[in-house]
Amino acid sequence: MSEIKLENVSYVYSEDTPYEKRALTDVTATIKSGAITGIIGHTGSGKSTLVQMLNGLTRPMSGRVLLDGKDIWEDPKKISDVRFRVGLVMQYPEYQLFDETIRADIAFGPKNMGLDKEEIERRVLEAADFAGVDREWLDKSPFDLSGGQKRRAAIAGIIAMRPEILVLDEPAAGLDPAGRKNIMEGLCAYRDKTGSSVVIVSHSMEDMAQYCDDIIVISDGRVIAQGKKEEVFSQSDLLRSVGLDIPQITLVMRLLADNGINVNTGVYTVEDAVNEIYKLI
Amino acid sequence: MKNIALGQYYPTGSVIHRADPRMKLILAVLFIVCTFLCKNIYSFGAILLASVLLVLVSRIPLKTVLRSIRALLFIMIFTLVINVFMTKGEVLLFEWKFIHIYREGIVNACFMLVRIFALIIGTSILLTYTTTPIALTDAIESLLSPLKKIKLPIHEFAMMMTIALRFIPTLMEETEKIMAAQKARGADFTNGSLIKRAKALIPILIPLFVSAFRRADELSVAMECRCYHGGEGRTSMRVLKYRASDFLLFLAFAALCAGLIALNLLKTPFAL
Repeated sequence: MSEIKLENVSYVYSEDTPYEKRALTDVTATIKSGAITGIIGHTGSGKSTLVQMLNGLTRPMSGRVLLDGKDIWEDPKKISDVRFRVGLVMQYPEYQLFDETIRADIAFGPKNMGLDKEEIERRVLEAADFAGVDREWLDKSPFDLSGGQKRRAAIAGIIAMRPEILVLDEPAAGLDPAGRKNIMEGLCAYRDKTGSSVVIVSHSMEDMAQYCDDIIVISDGRVIAQGKKEEVFSQSDLLRSVGLDIPQITLVMRLLADNGINVNTGVYTVEDAVNEIYKLI
Repeated sequence: MKNIALGQYYPTGSVIHRADPRMKLILAVLFIVCTFLCKNIYSFGAILLASVLLVLVSRIPLKTVLRSIRALLFIMIFTLVINVFMTKGEVLLFEWKFIHIYREGIVNACFMLVRIFALIIGTSILLTYTTTPIALTDAIESLLSPLKKIKLPIHEFAMMMTIALRFIPTLMEETEKIMAAQKARGADFTNGSLIKRAKALIPILIPLFVSAFRRADELSVAMECRCYHGGEGRTSMRVLKYRASDFLLFLAFAALCAGLIALNLLKTPFAL
């Protein structure tokens, strides 16, 4: 479907004041069509600034953002079209719910797109299913739901715009393991059924390893590695040098291999590791 | 939005930055009094010089200082025009139909301009640019503490100010985030009629209020957990202490005051 390319993108906060802070420096990256791309980096590494570039919330100070080869800032008046095509779920999206019912809140995006009533209703139900929002919740007030339920409703609010590229900033932050799994699997299902690209920002190596196809690693505002997850995770020294690490289970397998046990080290989930080890017995 | 000028504090580590906030508050009041003491061209010249000196000592870039003046440009121009056209005097310079411009009018206008300029520079250099809002609240609490004797809740007042100031950046950041989130869903805050734009604020204001209440609730629980019980017997983390340099600053300002009064006595046709 759609591909986003960042070309030499830079951004500085509070330029020319004592509080100046370089958020992104010369970032060049590609987000492939139909893939689940993970963006990994520490707090303050520039991840959130990066994702806000993807849908035109933040305008790069230099460099270009290309959506299907076209600069999204070519016509700043049409930036809202880009925002409908590239859906961004911000960090802790549950705090942006505002309408009287979950249904109305999910419908906010489609309504701004100027769709008709029936289409909106259809999209609300479809998005609710993808994000794991129970139909019973739809007529409740957002403030009557639990944190995890609100999070799902907020994600549904973006999915309802049917973005070609769905970008999520820490979608699973602060949720329990069941909630994490639920959301991550819903995102995979969305990709599989619609063919849209999904971009997930996280600092959980485990989640990334399990669900992503491609990985972009950023540190201190620069991209230090990108590509297929196997390629990225094979550079464990580089990852460690910026304070990140390969997934724990991959580390275990690698230590086994280092000690002369013949196992496959390209393993990213506990289930796969169990199967690998079973083969030995 | 990050540029909104409430937290204008601009750290350079100058003498003025390091001075005691209570002294700076007193000096700011004194400086305001000084600007109103001026009566003739000599004293206005002196106060102008003092303002420039203040900027230089604080080492705050001229560009930043001028930005705060730009905000009041309209008032300055308005005062200028009113003074030029409305002042009646003895030396008529220009006359056309109902417009009479006297030399006194032009002199007055210039004096007023200098006065406003000095007022802005004095207060912004002594307070906003060089003192953090928290230090300022501490200073106010300390200066007003004698009023506790007549049962005025000074500590509570200062605590509320501190909390309010503390949360302004937080709420601003939050507003920005919520705005970005709603923009990502296609909300439009800049186009359309006034009513449409006012309506567009609802998706921002509701989440903002909800989160402000949530924060207030969390903060009160956190204070309760640490046994906060008001001002009695409470000590401060930052204890304010006057130092020798503070008194030197005070002397300099007192000298300025005296100098202005002396300069006012000089005879000149350019006087108020």
